[in-house]
Amino acid sequence: MNEAPSLRRDANLAKPAASRSNLLGRLFKALIKGPLPLYLPAAIFLTLFFIVPLGYVLVMSVTEPKPGLGNFAYLLGSGRFFAVLLETFKTATIVTVCSLMLGYPLAYIAAGPARRLGGALLAIIALSFWTSFLVRTYAWMVIFGRQGPLSRWLETLGWTPPPKMLFTSFSATVAMTHAMVPFMVMAMYAVMKRIDPRFVRAAQSLGAHPLRAFSAVYLPLSLPGVVNGCTLVFITCLGFYVMPVLLGSPNQQMISGVIGDQIEQVLDFGAASAMSVILLVITVALFWLYHRFIGLDRLWRK
Amino acid sequence: MRSLKLLAILIALFIAIPLFIVVPMSFSANASLEFPPSAFWLGNYQHFFTDINWMQPLFNSLYIGVATTVLTLMLAIPASFALVRHYFVGRTALNLLLMLPMIVPQIVMALGYYMYFGSLGLTQSYSGIIIAHTCLGIPVATLIITAALKSFDTNLERAASSLGAPMLTTFRLVTFPVLRPAILVAALFSFIQSFDETVISVFISGRDTATLPRQMFNSFRMEADPVISAASSFLFIMVLACMLVPLAARLTRRATRGSIPAQAAH
Repeated sequence: MNEAPSLRRDANLAKPAASRSNLLGRLFKALIKGPLPLYLPAAIFLTLFFIVPLGYVLVMSVTEPKPGLGNFAYLLGSGRFFAVLLETFKTATIVTVCSLMLGYPLAYIAAGPARRLGGALLAIIALSFWTSFLVRTYAWMVIFGRQGPLSRWLETLGWTPPPKMLFTSFSATVAMTHAMVPFMVMAMYAVMKRIDPRFVRAAQSLGAHPLRAFSAVYLPLSLPGVVNGCTLVFITCLGFYVMPVLLGSPNQQMISGVIGDQIEQVLDFGAASAMSVILLVITVALFWLYHRFIGLDRLWRK
Repeated sequence: MRSLKLLAILIALFIAIPLFIVVPMSFSANASLEFPPSAFWLGNYQHFFTDINWMQPLFNSLYIGVATTVLTLMLAIPASFALVRHYFVGRTALNLLLMLPMIVPQIVMALGYYMYFGSLGLTQSYSGIIIAHTCLGIPVATLIITAALKSFDTNLERAASSLGAPMLTTFRLVTFPVLRPAILVAALFSFIQSFDETVISVFISGRDTATLPRQMFNSFRMEADPVISAASSFLFIMVLACMLVPLAARLTRRATRGSIPAQAAH
């Protein structure tokens, strides 16, 4: 007598359970068919191996050697760190301006009507772009070295003894400019190639002097490329490690070099992390500003 | 216009000449960085190609580069499909996550990996470097593949499946061949990025897993190991050859194409 109702109750219970598992199954199927399995591996990989180590830096900056903002207070109050920041910004600015001045004419001619010359210029830019930074560093070590071609040339001009050039901020700046010109040219070439040459011709046929046609028509149209190139180069320079460390002056280091020293020689991970956080914040802020006014997707659109 | 062209050529020379300087330097018999060298020999190359301290890093770099490329493509290709073909919650966040390694300065990541891999026991291991390089390679690979996917005409796939092709067959015969150039470019960028990466390798690779850039960086610091000239010149000539070989192939093809009508006339 008692068994029948209990069976019925079981049947009633089983019904929603079945539909729930059915729902889960449908959800699972939808997820499998949807984008989740496509992006999940990359998302997990980057979270585990990029976000977590980045988090280590953030956490270490406020916990090492003791919890609190001591590292930041010390750094921001330190005249030496301020000098390092200033040197970093100064070098990045000089390199950006110089590579813009060298890159603009090069990109202009490369995007212009002279096909063969343009191709040759682009080939040289590509050659430099693909050559390892260390190879370029070596080349500048030879050029600026005490027995290098530049010293000898200055000596024959009567400048004896020739000035010390290697391991100064001058040699690092020249080498970084040389390394950044290809980035600058590629960013500007992408924009200049799309400028319709008929615009400039139209301005000239309406009586504008070639210089005026350039400054009123071509230059404004090429500005997005200039902004892209300058942003890329400036941000790359802020975090540049190899060339400033190998070619620059040990007394006028940039922030990356100081962070490296803290890791390798001083073993002060708290200070290194705090400096890294400051560098990171500056970099992200610059990207954010760029994004705010221009849009990040434009930077990477080829 | 003519003076502007001259200016552009001069700037191009400023870019090119320092690169070519490494070639004569590699034959220099001087121990110091004397240029032009006063004596020539092949000893630097002999050292480079026989010294285990240089060959081991070269092969390490090749191995790490290939592994990084494979892993990067395995992660970036599906993620690119998700980004371009699907709209879902968190798509913007995913895009940001995939681009982040391009934004964060490498010295910051070097410090992060130094501490993180230290706690995982992955410093001085191949896997540590491969993992770090894969993170760095994902943004560029994703950018290249999403750009190609955006211009992909999905009607091609619809045509294939309407003709009865299963999904995998459609991918193998239609989607993949169209995307192949972009995938190859992405692979090339990943490999070169890994092969050239210096900052993170300097901090996290050990003696046995040293990459070529790390070995070069350290010998710069020790100063005046003339073998570095051979290593530099070797790397530069590799790049030069990779650029010149396709050019030469195109020129000979053009030359032979020109001669075919001439033969037909005979």
